[in-house]
Formats: sequence, C-alpha cells, structure tokens
Amino acid sequence: MLLQLKNIFKWVNTGGQRIFLLKDINLEVEEGEFISIMGPSGSGKSTLLNVIGMLDTFDEGEYHFLDESVHTLKEKYRSNLYKEYIGFVFQSYHLLDDLTVAENLEMPLLYKKVKGSERKALVADILDRFNIVGKKDLFPSQLSGGQQQLVGVARALIASPKLILADEPTGNLNSQQSEEIMELFKKLNKENGVTIIQVTHSEKNAAYGSRIINLLDGRKV
Amino acid sequence: MFKNYLKIAWRNLVKDKTNTSLNVIGLSVAFAVAVLLGMAALFQLSFDGFHENGASIYKIVKTQQTPRGPEAGTVQPAPLAPSLEAEVPGVKRITRFLQDGALAIQGDKEIDIDIIWVDEGFFSMFSFPIIKGDGNTPLAQLSSVVLTKKAANNLFGSTDVVGKTFHLLVKGKEVPFTVSAIADDMVAETNLEFQMAGRFESHADYLDNKEQWDSQYHDVYVELEEGVSSTSFESGSRGFVDLHFKDAIEMLKRDGASADENGRYVNLELVPLADVHFTSLKNGYVSVSRSLPYLILGVAFLILFIACVNYINMSIAKSAKRLKEIGMRKTLGAQKKQLFFQFWTESLFIFLISMGIGVILSFVFVNDFKTIFNTQVSVDMLLRPSFLVGLLAMVMLITVFVGGYPAILMSRLGTIQSLKGKLESTGNNKVRDVLMVFQFGIAIALITGTLVLWGQIDYMRNKDLGYDKEQVVSFPLNGKRNSNDVIELLREELKGNPDIVSISGADINLGLGRDGSRSSSKIGFEYKGRSVTTNFLVVDHEFVQTLGIDMVLGRNFKNASDSLGVVINEAMARELGEEDPLSAQLEISNGVHIPVLGVVKDYNFKDLDRAIEPITFYMSKEWGLSYAFAKVAPHNMASSYEALENTWKKLEPNAAFLGSFLDENVDRTFNREKTTAKMVASGSVLSIILSCMGLFAMSLLIVSQRTKEIGIRKVVGASVASITYILTKDFLKLVLLAFLIASPVAWWIMGEWLQNYAYRIELSIWFFVAAGAIAVLIALLTIGTRTIRAARVNPVKSLRTE
Repeated sequence: MLLQLKNIFKWVNTGGQRIFLLKDINLEVEEGEFISIMGPSGSGKSTLLNVIGMLDTFDEGEYHFLDESVHTLKEKYRSNLYKEYIGFVFQSYHLLDDLTVAENLEMPLLYKKVKGSERKALVADILDRFNIVGKKDLFPSQLSGGQQQLVGVARALIASPKLILADEPTGNLNSQQSEEIMELFKKLNKENGVTIIQVTHSEKNAAYGSRIINLLDGRKV
Repeated sequence: MFKNYLKIAWRNLVKDKTNTSLNVIGLSVAFAVAVLLGMAALFQLSFDGFHENGASIYKIVKTQQTPRGPEAGTVQPAPLAPSLEAEVPGVKRITRFLQDGALAIQGDKEIDIDIIWVDEGFFSMFSFPIIKGDGNTPLAQLSSVVLTKKAANNLFGSTDVVGKTFHLLVKGKEVPFTVSAIADDMVAETNLEFQMAGRFESHADYLDNKEQWDSQYHDVYVELEEGVSSTSFESGSRGFVDLHFKDAIEMLKRDGASADENGRYVNLELVPLADVHFTSLKNGYVSVSRSLPYLILGVAFLILFIACVNYINMSIAKSAKRLKEIGMRKTLGAQKKQLFFQFWTESLFIFLISMGIGVILSFVFVNDFKTIFNTQVSVDMLLRPSFLVGLLAMVMLITVFVGGYPAILMSRLGTIQSLKGKLESTGNNKVRDVLMVFQFGIAIALITGTLVLWGQIDYMRNKDLGYDKEQVVSFPLNGKRNSNDVIELLREELKGNPDIVSISGADINLGLGRDGSRSSSKIGFEYKGRSVTTNFLVVDHEFVQTLGIDMVLGRNFKNASDSLGVVINEAMARELGEEDPLSAQLEISNGVHIPVLGVVKDYNFKDLDRAIEPITFYMSKEWGLSYAFAKVAPHNMASSYEALENTWKKLEPNAAFLGSFLDENVDRTFNREKTTAKMVASGSVLSIILSCMGLFAMSLLIVSQRTKEIGIRKVVGASVASITYILTKDFLKLVLLAFLIASPVAWWIMGEWLQNYAYRIELSIWFFVAAGAIAVLIALLTIGTRTIRAARVNPVKSLRTE
C-alpha cells in the first residue's frame, strides 16, 4: 500500500462557526493506481490533494505514507519525504518565469542534491523522452500552454517519484492539448507504474483513471 | 545550487530595472559617503596613534583650585620636567615641548620654519622615523637639530646634509645649528608636527627661565615606566607639587580658594597621548571629548541605515511578486533554510556590487572631499588591509540583517498560501512604517541640525565683536627687522596713502591669520592682598584706535613713549573691583607700580565660545610685537591691501606677506563649525534624497498594488483629488509622525551643542517648523506625481488588469 488516510478532518473557524473543509475522509491508495477526484467547486478536492501532497496540514486523523506516519512528522522530514516520492503538476503550470525550460527541469534535482553530471544526464534524458530538446533554452513565456504543462509534467517526473499529484492539470488547456496530457499520464501509469492522483472537473478526463472519488462539502460520497 | 541562486538573482534584478537601479544607486552613494566620512572620522581618531610607546606616554596638565573655581593648564615651567624626572619615581623619559617658528638662513635662502624645542629623549619617546644620520641620539649635542626631509629639501635643496650648518634668526641674531639627522616627512595624524626639532636648552628664553617656577610657557610629555599607572604617578607627584608650588598654594589658600575633594589645591594630572587631540580645558577641568569624530561616524551610519531601510522595504514589497516562486520551490522540496540562503545571497550580491561602486566613487571623490571638508584623509587609508577587511566585514554584517529580514519573512510563508499568490501582510506594513518613520526622523533631525548650525555660524560671523573687523588687515611681522621699528617704518612709508587710516601692532593676532598660529598669554600678580589674573597684550600706542575699540573711561596711550601705564578692559576693571578703576596701580613686575590710564569697552579677543576675560594692554619695546594691524578706508580695500603688501615687500624682501582682513581671521576660527555644518548639511541632503528614493519606490509599488481599488473607487464616483488624497495621506502621516519624534531629539542635541558657546543663538521653534516643512514638501513632491497619474487613469483600464 502506498498511502492511507484515516478519519481525516480539516476545518477553519470563521465567525465563531466551524466550517469543515474535509470531513471524515478515509482513503487507501495502492501503488500503480490512477485515481480521479471529482466534485463541484468548494467540495474540498484541492484541499484533499494538498493534504495528500503534505503541502497542507489537517486537524484530526491519521496519514500513513509508505511506512511513515505523516501526522507525527516534523516539517523538515515531511519535506524530505515528498521531495523524494511525490511530484506535483498544477493547473497554472507554476514554472519559474526567470528560468529556461532546462533550468526549470533541473531545479527539483538541485533540492535533492543530485550531482552536476548526473543532473545533466537526467535533464537530457527527460527532454528527450518528452520530445522537447529543441525548447530547452526557451523561457516559459515563449511556450504555448500545452507545452508549458508538458514541461510541468516533465519536471514532476524528473526525480522519478512514486506518486504524481495533479491539480486540474488540463484546466487551462484546449481539448487537443488536454488529450495529449491525459494520454501522457495514462502511458506513465501503464508503462512506468507511476501512481497518479488527479483532481478534475471533466468526466472525460476522469475516465482515464482506474478509480473515481467523488467529494461533496468535504465528504466522500 | 549556488550558481542557480545567482542566476535567479541576476535575472530578477535585470527584470526589475527601476527598483534595482534605485537600490544600487542608493546603496552605492551611501557606501561612498560612509567610506569617506568613516575615513575622516578614523583619521581624527587615529591622531598620534602610531607611536610605539604611545600607551605609556602622557601629557602633563596642571590643575589648581582658584577662588574663581578650578583652572587647568597644559603649559609648565622650565624646571618642572627635569625635577620630575629626578624626584618622582616611575618616569622613564620626559620631554619639554615648545612649538615655535623662526627664520632659517642658509646661504642666500631665508625660510620660515616650524620648530619644536624638545629634550634629548624626544626621538626615543615618539616614533618619528629617522632616515639619515644618528637615529639613536640625534639630539645629543645642544647645537644639534633634526630636519624633516621636506625642510632639508627646502633649505638645502638636498637631504644629504647631515653635519651641515645653517643659521636661525633668534632675537635679531643669527645662531648656528648643525643638522644631525633627517626625519621622514610627517604623517598628517599628529599634533607634534615639526619641520625642525632642536634642544629645549637652545631656545632663546631658556636661560632666563631655567629656574623660574612661575613662568610657564611649554608643554611636557612624560613616558612612564612599565607597570606604573597614571593614577599612581599622579598620587606619587603630590609631595613634589607641595614642595615646588609651595608659594602658589599658600597664595591660593590666602585668596580663599577651596580645596578639591582630596584636600588639595594644585595637582598634576596625566592625559594619555591618544586623548590629547580631543582634550579641551573646559570650565577649568580637563575634558576629553571625541564627539566630533563620533558625530561624523554617526552621520555615516545614519546614511547607510537609510539606504538599508530602502532596501528592506523594497525587497519586502517586491516579495509579493515572487510568492509563486517561493511556493513552487517549496513543493519541489526547498527547505526554509535553503530559501533563506537564496534570498540572502541576492542581498549579498546587491550589497557587494554597491560596495564596489561605492569604494570606486569614494576613490574618485576623495580629493574633492578633502578640499570641501578640510580634512587630510588619504587614499592610502582606503587601501590599508585592515580598512578593507573591516569594510567587508561590515557589509557582511549588514546583509545578515538587511537581507536576512526579508529572507526570513519570505521563507516563512506557507506553501499553499504563496502558491495562491496571497500575502497576509498586516505585520509587514508595521515594520515598513516604523522603518520609514525612522528614515524621515533622521532626515528631519539632520535638516534641523543643519539649520541650527548655519544659524549659529551666521550669528558668530555677524556678531559685533566690539572691534572693527571689516576694515582692519593684520599680518605677521615675520621679517628680520625689529618689530617696533618696522611698525614705525610702515607708518612712515604709508603716511601719504589716504586709504590707509592708521597702523599699529600687537604681540597676539585676532582670530586665526594666514600664518595659522594662535597664542595667548596671561599673567597673574598681587593686587591689594589677593592675586589677579589677566590676559596680557603687548601693543603699540595706536592699537585702540586702529582696531576701533571704544574707550569707556580715561585715555588711550598718547605716543610711543607713553609706556608708563596700562589700558584695561571693563572685565579687568570689574576684576580689580575699584570704584574708580583709574586710581588702580598694578604691580606687574616686582616693585614697579603702573597706573591704569584708561578703560576700553569689552571686546571679543578670543573665540565666541568663551565669555570675555580681563585683558591688559601694555607697551614695551623689549617684549616686541608679532603682528601689524592696519586700518584701511572703506573704499578701494583691494588696492589698500596691495599697498600694504608692496610696502611690506619693500621693507622685508625675504619675508612672505601673510595679511588678511580680521573678518576672514574670525571666520577661520570657526572652520571646525563650518566643516561640521558642511558635513551635517551634506548628510541631511543625502538622507532626504535617499529617503525620498525609498518613498518613490514604495509609492510605485503601493500604487500598482492598489490599482484595482483605485479603479473601483473611480467607478463609484471618487474624484481625482480624493483618490490622490487617499494614496498620499498614509505616507504623509508617517512623515508627520517622524517630525514629532525627531524634533524633541534634535532640540535636545542642538541645545546641548549650543551650550559650548558663550555667545549663541536662541533655539527658536522656526528651525524645527522649517525642517519639518522641507521634509513634508519634498515627500509630497516625490509621491505626488505618481499618485496623481494613478488617480487619473481611466478606471476601465485599471480594472482590466485584474
């Protein structure tokens, strides 16, 4: 088992009232799964994804990732954990505008303290795999949305994570670009055995996954 | 990783050119100014710090309790030094020190030369390197002298002159001296400067004063043996003082002086050599004050601080734009530590560049700085490794705080929050506001200081000193002829010139002349059973009318032979305490009673930081005059000056004419104030410019952050004026708050400073109002243009940017 959420609650207090963002979420994810999280706006999809990605905390419950109990870990160890095993893909790509494609790809490796020569090899490798060798010296603003997201996915993959978390990865893309990205995810899932959890609004994209989780008002339905 | 940081830093800087250039320009200028001011201050602080034995060398000060309160003096009688050495334990070496000037004659060359008369051990005590000749005992012979390289070159045209002889003109006679050694040229940081050093025993007045304990005319420096502290020497010298100053102590007791807390009337105190440059004898006490160099250092730090505040505020404000980057880096596994290091590196980068430019700027402007601020700092100082290392260490330290603070703020942000690009910034604004209040507070305080300094200088310049300073030229009688004769000759020569009203002479100049020397002389004598002290001025009979001093009582000297009487001032008349001062008979020298002929109105013969003291005018052919005073007609003053110069050249072809009007002389006496005023003024100009640069950058950022708000307000009907008001008022509030905080501080500091002057301006409220108004006005102009432009933008445009 890759990860397990047990009775997760998350809330905020506004005006004396407790508003639940996540309510009693239980979830087990096996390695190699491709899960889609669906639900209307404000149902807690992104919050759940952020909790799984350890970017966000929760107020109650247990979270086990591999053999670690995430809820007991300090921030530093948490960041070591997700740096090692998790890659993120965002709706608005979140590439650094000041860095070229190659430099953006290289960045996660820097934080994992990978050696220079190895970094170069890995970057060259992934550029090749994603067919974007010709774009390696361009800046994000010089690419189309689809190409930027391609780089985003490549960046998430470069450190060979076990799990990819994608928050509406195709939200800003047109249908053709969307399809390309989803095909890419499917291929990664099938051929490389990467576990993927995506948040999506689209039934069509959700269908790429092996399992769908529906959320409403912070609750699994 | 580091390369990556630098890359990001560089691209960020290039992308935001306005901000970067404002930051770099501001910091570079601040660094340049800080380096220059720092050098000026260190130059002052390092005075006489180069002597190897400096730590155990002291200047001797004699303090005595008089009926009028304590009095301290550095001048000592000739037998003091040898007796101290013989009778008080703990003295390793001791030297008398008398500064003097004379005409040096070598072949057909006649040159004015600065002389110090010292004891044999002088060159062992002080580290003035000997480059040629006898380095160990250069002053072993009474006729031996040491010349500096420069003086030797001037006099002989060469430095290979050890063993050669030249003459000094001493009291009209040519006395031979032999060069025993050549000293390297003086560094600027010494108060013991000389062109020639000779034996104290060879000085013209030595034989008369050899055993005189009541004739005090030179300084004494003592080097204590290892392990002897100045306090133990001071207490060890008490018996010595009681023995040798017995008569003086008896008289003080008789006149009703009260003893100090140790029950003593006369004490010898030691002032460490390092403190000598900062010593003043204020209110009868020795006081050591380094406030001027520290004030300069303070201004330097304040300017650096202001530039740093700009940097902090701009980087915090800018951080909003970099939230996405911070969030992204966090999701990629960056830790707080790493983010902190990244942002700190960026600061370091900017600061090192700015420091580099700043140092180059200070190199370029060091010469202008020297002339404008009248200081002798040198570029060598900049290149000293200790200075560079210190500078670098300081920059590192500054970046830890200045770069560290925004870095901590940024690295602390939550991941999700920063990815969303939202900044909860209530706390940050407080820090920003506090810093800006500080900035403007400093600027306002410095502006106030400048105004007050200018006011005081202006007051001193225009004050009626009680004599005519605009129309009187004074010049030193630095030639070969007898001084009284030369005054008569001048009168004779210039009799036909209608523009020269009258000519006279005295032994002491008024103000500071072009010869750069000042002196004062005092005597004390018995008057009706108590001792009276007065300043003493040897004059020529036309002195009073030439200077335009008013007579109050009695009469002036009639002619050159009317020397059997004195003229005193009102302060002296009060000191004598006679109902009719003209009835007084003064026993100036033993057994001879001299009547008071007249009383003149008090005039400021010393600097304006002192109250007017008693003074007595005396005519004496044998004591001689040192300065001529010539009153000229109010028109054609330039040609009158020329006439004086030509006549002087005719009478004394080998002597330089160093004449100057007395108002220039008086001006020169507050050179220190003028330099301080210039420094504070340039500091205040810089600080207001730097503060406004920061304000400008902040207003740009705030306006861009509030674009949407401005749009919405306009849509619902706000006018341009009301929007400008909303955008401006927050900043204006800060400037006003700064004014409220800075004014009392400035009031207190300037009030304390003015206490130094016996004659001073009142601290009027207008100084502060003017400073505040200047600051507010400049701040308004700075933010006004931007905010009005922002307020006038079509709301459709500003709303679309969202």
